[in-house]
Amino acid sequence: MLERIARERVATLFLVTVIVLLLVGMAAPGFLSARTASIIWSNGLVLMLVALGIFPVILTRNIDVSGGSVLGLSAVTLGLTVNAGAPLPVGIAAALGAGAAAGALNGGLVALLGVPSIVATLGTLGLFRGVMLIATGGEWIEELPQGVKDLADKGFFGLSAIGIVALAVIVVVWLVLRTRRGRWIFAVGDNREAARHLGLPVRRIEFFAFVWAGLMYAIAGIAFAAQIGFVPNQAGSGLELRAIAALVLGGISLLGGVGSVAGVVIGVIFFTSIDTALVFLKIPAYWNDLIGGAMLLAVLLIDGRLRIALEARDRAARYRRGGTQPSKSRDLEEAA
Amino acid sequence: MTSVLAELGRVSKSYGNVPVLKGVDFEVRAGEVHALLGGNGAGKSTLMKILAGLIAPSAGRVSIGGAPLSPATPAQAQAMGLYLVPQEAHIFPNQSVLENICIGLPRRAEAYRTRIRDLIAELGVALSPDAKASTLEIADRQVVEILRGLVREAKVLILDEPTSALTPHEVETLFERMRALRETGHGLVFISHKLHELRAVSDRITVLRDGYVMHSAKMSESGDAEILAAMSPGVGALRERRADRARAERKTLEVTGLCGEGFVDISFDLHHGEVLGLTGVVGAGRTELAETLVGLRPRAGGKIALEGRPFLARTPREAVRQNVVILSEDRQQYGLFLDAPLFWNTSSLVHYLLPFVLRPSAERARFEGYRKTLGIKCETADQPVRSLSGGNQQKVLLSKCLAAKPRVLILDEPTRGVDVGARNDIYELIEQLADAGTAVLLISSDFDEVVRLSDRIAVMAGGHLVGALAGGSSTDEIAQLAFESKEAAHA
Repeated sequence: MLERIARERVATLFLVTVIVLLLVGMAAPGFLSARTASIIWSNGLVLMLVALGIFPVILTRNIDVSGGSVLGLSAVTLGLTVNAGAPLPVGIAAALGAGAAAGALNGGLVALLGVPSIVATLGTLGLFRGVMLIATGGEWIEELPQGVKDLADKGFFGLSAIGIVALAVIVVVWLVLRTRRGRWIFAVGDNREAARHLGLPVRRIEFFAFVWAGLMYAIAGIAFAAQIGFVPNQAGSGLELRAIAALVLGGISLLGGVGSVAGVVIGVIFFTSIDTALVFLKIPAYWNDLIGGAMLLAVLLIDGRLRIALEARDRAARYRRGGTQPSKSRDLEEAA
Repeated sequence: MTSVLAELGRVSKSYGNVPVLKGVDFEVRAGEVHALLGGNGAGKSTLMKILAGLIAPSAGRVSIGGAPLSPATPAQAQAMGLYLVPQEAHIFPNQSVLENICIGLPRRAEAYRTRIRDLIAELGVALSPDAKASTLEIADRQVVEILRGLVREAKVLILDEPTSALTPHEVETLFERMRALRETGHGLVFISHKLHELRAVSDRITVLRDGYVMHSAKMSESGDAEILAAMSPGVGALRERRADRARAERKTLEVTGLCGEGFVDISFDLHHGEVLGLTGVVGAGRTELAETLVGLRPRAGGKIALEGRPFLARTPREAVRQNVVILSEDRQQYGLFLDAPLFWNTSSLVHYLLPFVLRPSAERARFEGYRKTLGIKCETADQPVRSLSGGNQQKVLLSKCLAAKPRVLILDEPTRGVDVGARNDIYELIEQLADAGTAVLLISSDFDEVVRLSDRIAVMAGGHLVGALAGGSSTDEIAQLAFESKEAAHA
């Protein structure tokens, strides 16, 4: 039992999420409905996209804390271009381009210049936010055209356009990680020197992880703008830390080389479910951070203790095995 | 005339202004094992990394299979049929053995499963392709590296100190595999510090010193003295074992019926000024025993007395305060702070003796003292340990232990990865310590070393103490005890 819980983090977290939802459902009738599910999905969309962006970066044992700023920068790029009269596809392309360029800058600093990723992205975190503020003169971008807002409108089977894109991204990441090259991403994070020895293009893999992250933040920025219909000057601020927390919760190791897409998805859904449940329980929104943080700590603490207990048990078992073999030989001596 | 599989011509390499290789010629021929010998810092590893495409040479030619290595990348070298098995196996702990072997290959891992199963059978090893790599023993990790080379159809395999973590029995198995590879027309480069190992399998020997080739000839035509002189003039062979000495009656450490992780019912005495050799094969429980003595592992039962008084260290700190000190077998992982200055490392075990506000000048002076007695080669006391060669790192590690003024000094594999020159220094130091009254527990898998240094020898197998021998016993006697007991344990 213990073993299952510790070894299958994703399944356990899924169970915990279900239990929490059921409990909330009992306390607040009407909570358990397709409508709530749809709310959780759309509330979690932006976080999901940011998390899916950071995911490969963390797998390669790097970190990217510039996600919130890149999101803001991309949303502003979209807003400025479409408000200047450009057609929506052009706006979207510009936003994606901004995200990819930001990612390439991060990737270049880390993979080509060898700057530690935490240092590089802390720097660009401020840099990108600054570029965004200068571009807007510190103003909010309001009155986005209807076309942008339509992207968040439910259409196809209750899914919005950006919802479908997010689903597609989940499938793409899942598929890519199952390929031969996908495994390289794990390998770089697991043992960078070994990957280099085996001739894997380590720097290129790291670079592309960051570019991918930038692209995902850009899609998250578009989703963000579509959902709320305007772009505040602090758009996305702090989101990267929530995304990293969700990843950790979903069993993605910050030491690299370990994690699954299912873990990303369930980690994000767990976080969003709690926020949504609090609304139903009529707990003021300013409680969200405290409760979310406490839940994260609780899960990680329990998980950590379980692992330690399990390791101690494995160790004891290993030495018991080692000890039984010689005891036989002692029997032989006694018999002799 | 045998064909040349890989060749280095007039290869030079400098880091900044420091030349490491100064025009080295080297070749690997089909069906030959080429021994490469040299002290720490002689340039062996650099030379092999150049051949494997991991480092670009400053000047000179590199060719594999008759064609120049271009571009100089590991992927290209592997594609041209050369694989470097590094000293410390590079594994991906979170992936399976199969994935570890196949990563970087053009097809998916599953496509190579049968081929790898065949290779595992050919090598005669017990290794499951589906085991998680983090569960593998050191020797098996090395097998994973060799398999990587074989799956890549490498004609040239470079083995960088493959025996340093192996027991004599495993070494013999490795040699058989190497001979088998030689028969099938592979060319091998074998790097080791141990001359008798090189002699056992090699056809040709090249000795490097200070970036030059000092000697290169057929193994059968090279005498030991000639080789040693080429490697480090003035040192000669390892010094002879000193004469037997009368054992002091004073018991420093008495261990009675000690049980713990991986060993049961261990009893022995360690006398004042004595070197007690504790040997056996890897997994015999020696390191576990040592770590239990100093409080790194929990004790399950039994008694320990230090100079007649009960001794119980629950943490290493308590042990150090009573001057019971261990030198860890893995200096990189457990012994040294690699990026910290040399003098920090020397003070690190006695940190609780340092004043509240540190006095670096006093610490530097302490280091300076040890630098002289141990002969540590360095530029300043402030350079990081990482910048030193293996032998000098080991001496810094020793200085750390000595700073704690040990009454009982436990040395776990004190000369692993250390060249002959530094090894001699360390042997001499151990003898001086014993003469000054320190009780030394010497743990080593190198039977020659144990015989060379010990006043008495204890052999462990499968967690038991299986025998005690007098100093000066032969290595055969030790091997018999260590292996036969092991086999009995498995029966």
